[in-house]
Amino acid sequence: MPLREKRRSALVLAGLTVFHILLISIQVPLGSRKPYFERAVFFLYAPVQRAASAAVRGLGSAWTGYFDLRGVRRENQALKRDNFFLHQDVRFLEDRLGLGASEALLRANLAEFEKTLVAARVIGVDSANPHQSIVIDKGSLDGVAKDMAVCDRNGALVGRTVAPIGLKEAMVQLVTDKDSSVSVRSVVAGLTGAMTGMSTGFCELRHVLASTEGGQEGEEVRTTGFDKIYPPGIKAGTIQSLEEDVSSPIFRKIVVKPYFRFDALDVVAVLTKGPGGGG
Amino acid sequence: MRETVAGDLLRAFLGTLVAVFVYSVAGAGAPALLVVVNAFSVIVLYFSIRRGEVFGALLGTMCGLAQDAFSLGVFGVAGLTKTLLGFWTGYVSRRIDVVPFTRNALFMLVMSVLEMTLWVLLTAAARLKSVNFEGGLLFLQPVVTALLGGLLFALERRVQMRHSRGA
Repeated sequence: MPLREKRRSALVLAGLTVFHILLISIQVPLGSRKPYFERAVFFLYAPVQRAASAAVRGLGSAWTGYFDLRGVRRENQALKRDNFFLHQDVRFLEDRLGLGASEALLRANLAEFEKTLVAARVIGVDSANPHQSIVIDKGSLDGVAKDMAVCDRNGALVGRTVAPIGLKEAMVQLVTDKDSSVSVRSVVAGLTGAMTGMSTGFCELRHVLASTEGGQEGEEVRTTGFDKIYPPGIKAGTIQSLEEDVSSPIFRKIVVKPYFRFDALDVVAVLTKGPGGGG
Repeated sequence: MRETVAGDLLRAFLGTLVAVFVYSVAGAGAPALLVVVNAFSVIVLYFSIRRGEVFGALLGTMCGLAQDAFSLGVFGVAGLTKTLLGFWTGYVSRRIDVVPFTRNALFMLVMSVLEMTLWVLLTAAARLKSVNFEGGLLFLQPVVTALLGGLLFALERRVQMRHSRGA
């Protein structure tokens, strides 16, 4: 290899390496705002992801929708859509009734709740760790903004929208991500703390003092709304285990199993109104 | 010179589009598959061996940044590791014979392992948290990458042989 070419290769490598190191250093510690460059790359490639996802779905549909089943399929899809919104309504009503709200308040809440759901399809998962984030096919053009709560088809908490938000795509941070934190309370013992992800299928209920009594395996935890992002009363998961925290005698070690099933995440609901909505 | 750079940039961009497409199809089919299949690494390895270190570094940058854009991790970590992967794969492959399937797959395995080690170290340092190995499944990623890369080359050779026979 000639010296000139060698020098050129070394220069290219050095330039690109310095560029990346600078890129990484401006983000550590991680800020809440994403760099414009990252947003640009997301905007550029997200439509490709959308197209690929649509192609896979289309192939699946072609397979299942063959032999004159198109009419039945359309009807089935409409029913599925109705079922999805009904699930959300039931979830909402349960939450409000659970809080012992008066009928007048319930009606007021229902009026507020109308047209606040955006149904979205999951088109991608995190490239580094599937338990961190997903990409959905709704973006700013559909009214989706940063910090909106996202639920699965059964109304269980999935996560919240985070930057980058594209015109027709958005990223959702899952509650199972290590950097996610949700204010929750157990429904029986009233254990209140922050549900933080473990980047696996489980979460931890943190900051519950060791002196606090009560709580049992299988007990449900729901959002409190204290974090100003997630509306109160959304089902988050159940307590999987309660132990003494060996590393920190001040707090209890509580593991929570989220309700949403990662392998069954196909359609989600974005709550466009609420504490975090429109943020 | 300008034409070559522009051409390389365009080819690298097209290569990245292919990687994003494969990654998206795999994600849409079975999200759990993404733990063991890294489409970006396969594309970078394949084209770096074919086109050398400069193109490898360029493609590595583009593919790595695209991978970072679809993750909540620190933006640039995969960009850096894939740039180094592309460069060194292209550089070393021009100095040793990596044509036979076994040697080719083994070479790609070594490079993938090195890339993953660097990625794990950088991720752990940048996010100040340990990396989730998905119960050890993540360690299969270099093996699958090497296997897929090797198969791509084997397929290419087969097609070329058929063409030469036809001619």
